[in-house]
Amino acid sequence: MAIHERSLVDPERVLRKERLVIDGIDVSGDWNLIILPRVIEDYDLSFLDEVLEQPEGKTILQCYQCSYCTASCPVHNYWDERYNPRHFIHLARLGLIDELQKRADVMWRCVSCHKCTHRCPKGVLVEEVLKAILRVMAKRGIIEEYPSKKFDKFFLESVYEYGRIEDGELLFGWIEKQGYQVVKDPILKKPIPFMGGVPEWLKQLAVKPIKSMNIGFLILNAKHMLFHPRTKNWNRFKQVLRKVMEEEGVFTH
Amino acid sequence: MAVALQMRKPPMGGIGKRVAYYPGCSLEGAARAYDVSTRIVAKELGLELDYLEDYNCCGAMETKNVTFWGTMLLNARNMSLAKKQGHSVIVAPCNGCSFSLQRAEYFLETDKKVFERINSLLKEGGVDPLTEIPHTYHILEWFYHEAGPEKVKERTKKPLKGLKVANYYGCLYTRPHFYARTYSHGGTEEQERPRMRETADDDEHPYYMEALLEAAGATNVEFEPMHTQCCGGPHSLSDEQVSEKFVMMILQTAKRNGADIIATECPLCHASLEMYRHRLMMKGVPDVDVPAAYFTQLLGIAFGYGAGDVKLKDNLSDPIPVLKRLGLV
Ligand code: SF4
Ligand code: SF4
Ligand code: SF4
Ligand code: SF4
Repeated sequence: MAIHERSLVDPERVLRKERLVIDGIDVSGDWNLIILPRVIEDYDLSFLDEVLEQPEGKTILQCYQCSYCTASCPVHNYWDERYNPRHFIHLARLGLIDELQKRADVMWRCVSCHKCTHRCPKGVLVEEVLKAILRVMAKRGIIEEYPSKKFDKFFLESVYEYGRIEDGELLFGWIEKQGYQVVKDPILKKPIPFMGGVPEWLKQLAVKPIKSMNIGFLILNAKHMLFHPRTKNWNRFKQVLRKVMEEEGVFTH
Repeated sequence: MAVALQMRKPPMGGIGKRVAYYPGCSLEGAARAYDVSTRIVAKELGLELDYLEDYNCCGAMETKNVTFWGTMLLNARNMSLAKKQGHSVIVAPCNGCSFSLQRAEYFLETDKKVFERINSLLKEGGVDPLTEIPHTYHILEWFYHEAGPEKVKERTKKPLKGLKVANYYGCLYTRPHFYARTYSHGGTEEQERPRMRETADDDEHPYYMEALLEAAGATNVEFEPMHTQCCGGPHSLSDEQVSEKFVMMILQTAKRNGADIIATECPLCHASLEMYRHRLMMKGVPDVDVPAAYFTQLLGIAFGYGAGDVKLKDNLSDPIPVLKRLGLV
């Protein structure tokens, strides 16, 4: 028997027999598969309230579970079937925390392409709602620090500090965070590109502009990395930014 | 394809010939080729970009995922600067930037509380509060509406004859419709805002880039649905497996549909394609060797500029051999 959205059923609950005979009748073939029932009693309705408190989570109640979002989602279609935005919304509304936690390993994988939000016939801002759910999960400590969040915070630091980001610094800073040994210049303490341990593909990529004598490009990037582009009059604004982000708990979880 | 384009033709004009230009961080760093070529194209088409002085980063997806109010504030500051420079329209050449500004616009317009809080926070930070909210367009929409294919044709000195292009729009150019106002359906009354169907590109089948490049003499290859498939974007550094797979699908589709080159309109998509193209080639994955160029670089070449003028050498995927073969550079 075909099971719709098979990925939603825990594998240990699926029973499949080679031959199945019930009351002397051989029902093998189409009917040899059984899904065991389950009992759910851990509804936590305060989870939904917390999602609704987030400015991005407000539209969660508009969802009527049509699954257009899931059908559009590239992570669901091309990466992992267990990534299912419709189902995450369902679980969050019921307050099935355990079930959400079971999927914590894929939930962060949303690439923010907004196909879901774009196509939702009910005006649910799906991508935003999912991020709100993730945030509540992080607040409650039921999802561990995941790679994209580490990167997000790393990016945010740069914006917060200077008002602008610098791609090269971001790239090499991130490489350093991944555990590679990066060499820094002694005065400004900025990573020097391609010194020390750098992934092989990146090294090769850097050889290209040198080979084609595109020195201007390299100098520009090096200059930007050493003298980070800044926004003027940033300090006063920075204080306000800090204040609102503290209120949101950005620095605590 | 040409017939379909004719039928879908929207009215021209309506955005303004002189607008605030928000280049975004990338265009002043690794993607300067896009900045330089954008300025060339604007000049040729008789349009004026007014550089937004002292802007700050829009925060992109990364900041948005961590802080709602912080991101609103960052974008509101840019909007306020645009107002101060006397503009009610901002154009951004980056999908991420135009998305962020349009998203802020959505929340400021649909939620009074957000609007009021942001204004008081702006004041606190020493920035003029917003009296009116400027609208943001992607630079491609602006080129299309204020100049359009006719003007491009008129300016073309060296038609891109024989160049087969796959037009890659990335995710956020027309999505989501609530922010980009490309379409309007569903949602509650508060979510309803006037749609901008006349100026926005088609939401599921964008074609402005195709139309402009076709006018410049290029041939467009079929590229749906990969033309709006995500490249892994905000996760391109933090989730390499997924990004690699997505980029592989995009490049292979382009190659197998016969494209010589992929035209891009976002510095992030462009970087992601070039970076992963290189990695995939190192791994020996077949059919991934299509180079990428910004659509403005291609237009620049059609307008008679050289490879150096549009900084083709900055492209890590090196589109020069392909263009040389066709005698374009
Ligand atoms: S498309 Fe919208 S209404 Fe349908 S399941 Fe997804 S969020 Fe719910
Ligand atoms: S934004 Fe995230 S959830 Fe939505 S379609 Fe894209 S990857 Fe899927
Ligand atoms: S989206 Fe990217 S390029 Fe645009 S402002 Fe933000 S960081 Fe800069
Ligand atoms: S294609 Fe990638 S970089 Fe471009 S807008 Fe989408 S996620 Fe961002």
